[in-house]
Amino acid sequence: MQIDTTAIVDMLRLAQSPREFLRFAKGNLELWANLLIIGWAVVFMVWQGTGFAISVGTVFAIWAILAVSLNLVVGFTGLLSVGHVGFFGLGAYTVAILTSDAAYEQLRTEAIPTFGLPFFAALPVAILFAGLVAVAVGIVFNRFRDDIFVLVSFGFAIIAFNVFLNLRSVTRGAFGIHEIARPEIGTWVFDGELEFLALVVAFLGLVVLISWFIVTSSFGRVLTAIREDEQATEVFGYQVTHFKLAIWVISAMMAGLAGGLFASWTTFIDPNSFILLESMLLVCIVILGGLATIWGSLLGAIVFVLLEEGMRFIPFLPAEYVGQARQVVLGILLVILMLFRPQGLVGRYKL
Amino acid sequence: MSTSRPDKIDLDEIFVLRTKEVSKRFGAVKAVDQLSISIFREWITCIVGPNGSGKSSLINLLSGILPLDEGVVVIDGVGLRVLKAHEAPGHGITRTFQEVRLFDQISVWDNIMVTLTERRFLPALFERTSPQHKEKTQSILQSVGMWEKKDAMAMDLSYGQRKLLEIGRAMAMDVSIYLFDEPFAGLFPQMLERVKSILKDMREQGNTIIFVSHNMDIVRELSDHLFVLDSGALLAVGEVDEVLSRPNVIDAYLGT
Amino acid sequence: MSLERLRFAWWSRLLPSGDGHGRLLATVLGAAVFAYIAWKIAQSPDQAVQFAFNGLSVGAVYALLAMGFTIVYSTVWFFDLYYGAAAAIGAYGVFYLRSQDGFGGQDYTNPYVTAMLAAVTAGVVAWALYETFFHRLRPRYGRRVLYAAGGLLAVGAGAYMGLVLSITDSTNVILSPAIGVLVALAAGWAIYRGSRLALPTFNAVPLLILAAIVGIALGGYCGFLIADTPGSKLYLSWGVSCLMAGIVGVGFYRGLYVYMREQARSPLIMLVATLGILLAITAATSIIFESNPRPLPEAFGSAPWTILGSNIKGFNIFAVGVALAGFVFLLFLLRMTSFGKAVRAIGDDEEVSKVVGINTTVIIAIVFFIGAIYAAMAGLLSGHDTAIQPRMGLLLLLKGWIASVVGGIGNLYGAIVGGFALGMVEQFGIWDLAGEWKDVISFMVLILFLSFWPKGLLPRE
Repeated sequence: MQIDTTAIVDMLRLAQSPREFLRFAKGNLELWANLLIIGWAVVFMVWQGTGFAISVGTVFAIWAILAVSLNLVVGFTGLLSVGHVGFFGLGAYTVAILTSDAAYEQLRTEAIPTFGLPFFAALPVAILFAGLVAVAVGIVFNRFRDDIFVLVSFGFAIIAFNVFLNLRSVTRGAFGIHEIARPEIGTWVFDGELEFLALVVAFLGLVVLISWFIVTSSFGRVLTAIREDEQATEVFGYQVTHFKLAIWVISAMMAGLAGGLFASWTTFIDPNSFILLESMLLVCIVILGGLATIWGSLLGAIVFVLLEEGMRFIPFLPAEYVGQARQVVLGILLVILMLFRPQGLVGRYKL
Repeated sequence: MSTSRPDKIDLDEIFVLRTKEVSKRFGAVKAVDQLSISIFREWITCIVGPNGSGKSSLINLLSGILPLDEGVVVIDGVGLRVLKAHEAPGHGITRTFQEVRLFDQISVWDNIMVTLTERRFLPALFERTSPQHKEKTQSILQSVGMWEKKDAMAMDLSYGQRKLLEIGRAMAMDVSIYLFDEPFAGLFPQMLERVKSILKDMREQGNTIIFVSHNMDIVRELSDHLFVLDSGALLAVGEVDEVLSRPNVIDAYLGT
Repeated sequence: MSLERLRFAWWSRLLPSGDGHGRLLATVLGAAVFAYIAWKIAQSPDQAVQFAFNGLSVGAVYALLAMGFTIVYSTVWFFDLYYGAAAAIGAYGVFYLRSQDGFGGQDYTNPYVTAMLAAVTAGVVAWALYETFFHRLRPRYGRRVLYAAGGLLAVGAGAYMGLVLSITDSTNVILSPAIGVLVALAAGWAIYRGSRLALPTFNAVPLLILAAIVGIALGGYCGFLIADTPGSKLYLSWGVSCLMAGIVGVGFYRGLYVYMREQARSPLIMLVATLGILLAITAATSIIFESNPRPLPEAFGSAPWTILGSNIKGFNIFAVGVALAGFVFLLFLLRMTSFGKAVRAIGDDEEVSKVVGINTTVIIAIVFFIGAIYAAMAGLLSGHDTAIQPRMGLLLLLKGWIASVVGGIGNLYGAIVGGFALGMVEQFGIWDLAGEWKDVISFMVLILFLSFWPKGLLPRE
């Protein structure tokens, strides 16, 4: 349903004759968006060399996991959640606490329990923990809809951030947690950028696969029905609360996975990585790329990462303002999209 | 019950649906007031009444959209004080809405498919579209004449098509009691005939149909049994022509 | 297909989907909170007074935010997140204008920002002139003359705003003519109206002349007074930054929301679009002013007073006064004037109001203007009280949103009650917890309220 195979076939057919292609492409915004973004990515890759791809690839993959998982909630179920970063942070902190090495000097400032577990033992725990919290949060949030849901999801993000910041006996507050373990299988440690990239991309593939499996199943169809009319869906015998809770938890677990990977990648986390703003940027990615398509979320993540890299080449912009400048651009893009294309670049659902 | 008295009538065999002193209040307004009605099995029953007489509220109560304030609903011999919307199909009830409520941004095909698939969320996750589903959807779409439109978005259909699709969606549920809230409102004559024939066919197949309408010609033509509501209470019951000629019914319609 | 099984789904009632036992739980929770607060107060009344003072001063800011938020929301029925940016603009406007007075004399004025704000001002003024005068004067003067005059006036207003924003070391001198003219107009109008009411039969012309003379004299005096008082710069900057936030708000409404609302299917579109605006403005603020927190210059009453054995700053009492005054003003505006009637009509049904001849665009623009001014006022009050940083807008917005939900969304009384109640709960809540948990407390309050009293303390009638 979601992966538009006919369009791909069309494109392949059209690639053989340029004139027909031009005629087809005229006014086809989705195609142009795809071409432009992928072309942009390729140009950057060629220009900067493969080192560039390796260095930004991990960032892209983590954002893409988050975006795909959030799209399950925002695009397919119609719950505009701005609190996704909370689950991201939960996953990251769980992995950090479980794997961080206790014997480092910074612990003197404030001691927290550490376990020194291997990464692959901690990651499932992180995912499960994010899922458990999502069950509790979801039960409370299930009754809210539309703009009130936005408000309470803001609330969840802020509560989560404050817990990370202020529950010092567990998270070390603003000091952050250092020495988070890199993943290792046997004696082989995912130490280099390239190995880690491969790992993250593998997980991204897994997440995309699971998401694809979900949205093409009967469950996915019911989610879209819930998005359109909750009460009518209920009349046909679906217990809407269960479906909403289920997708919420699945999505949160994916975010927890992303968090775990992020913690292990940076080997140091502090609450500043999990502020509300990150969540809002994530919503930007999802809406920009396209609601209710998995491919759209990947595109959105590409744009997001490339924007930051592109900003570095603006001559009179100091390096520390790159993130802010990207935020300005994203904000303006969001306004323009809402004005002219409320489903995002390649979306299937108009807000 | 092996030793039932032969002269005792089992109401549940005759009536598929009964309400006992059902009430619903909205603030100070009594939308449905101590209403007791019985619906005959395999008949087309019509509910008429002036605007605000509680017809839609009654339909909402029977389909579980609104919770009951008081009273009991007996469906197929099962008495219920609480009827939740998602449990209503389990009791054999489905409905359409007065203002057409399709799933706008999904295709016509998926609109029908939604009513066919697994209800529990965990099995639903692992259920893919099966050939039976496809066949059923195709037959439903063909019977309401929407097969050509199967890939269109529901929001792009015309009003009549939306109405038909909604009826088709209810038919796909394969239950025994259908509640239609104003299925004929706003349709042009050709469509009217189509909906009428659909309703008749459904009756032939042994379904019970309850519908609300303001169009007296259609009411006369279709219904086997008629309820007249006025301000949430029952004004008249009986055979159509007889009820519609009663003076108090005429008063209620003309007086308001 | 498994419809029959639905009947026996035992787990189907495990999750709350309706209200159920909510009321009872809510009552128990509320009683527990009150009992806790009463117990704390009984334990140490002195401290309780201190917390109440803190609650009042925080609550004043929240009440202002909630009032502005609620009047905008109950008119257009979407959540306008620009509102948070307006709060930040209010605070940073003061910083922008006054940056070289304190903080080591670094001047943050920026020609691009000034030019942009001046352009927005010119645009909004042009639109306002067009809406007010064009149709009335066109029969007499013709289209071209009016366009030329309006354009000149608008450009003049923009240039004046640009002047105010670029020469910040003598804000009072530059603003004195404007203040003089405003005072002259206000005084003249008041004298004329008052005397007409008192002496309805008297000839109007001498009264008019008298009003003009007194008005001009008073205006001139005020102008010179202000030009001569360098201490007034800070307070004039307040006015300018509030005005700026309001003008930008109107600009967004007229330039963007009007088109968007014509085609928007749901309030979520508006919400996401305004989220984009908020993100952009927040980021732009941190590019222009750097993102670390900063103080605003000392306003009056920054030294604490001791009342009932507890400390409160005079400035905080002033903030409470501003909140109350703002409440009275809005109440007057909404209940007593035809403008208020129009606002409520639009809130009830915009289409119908349009049909009966209310100029909805103008009325909603004024509502946005007022809302943004309230937000800016709240922003700068809280900025003087604590510190300013670019991200403050979002948090203030959320607090105002919460306060209006707690009070009952769309109700003015609810907004002020909700604002002060939220401030109090927040401050009493951190009595035993540490101060950094106050955001958590307010969001817990929000979630509890939405779960058990979704209509708030004072529901909209």
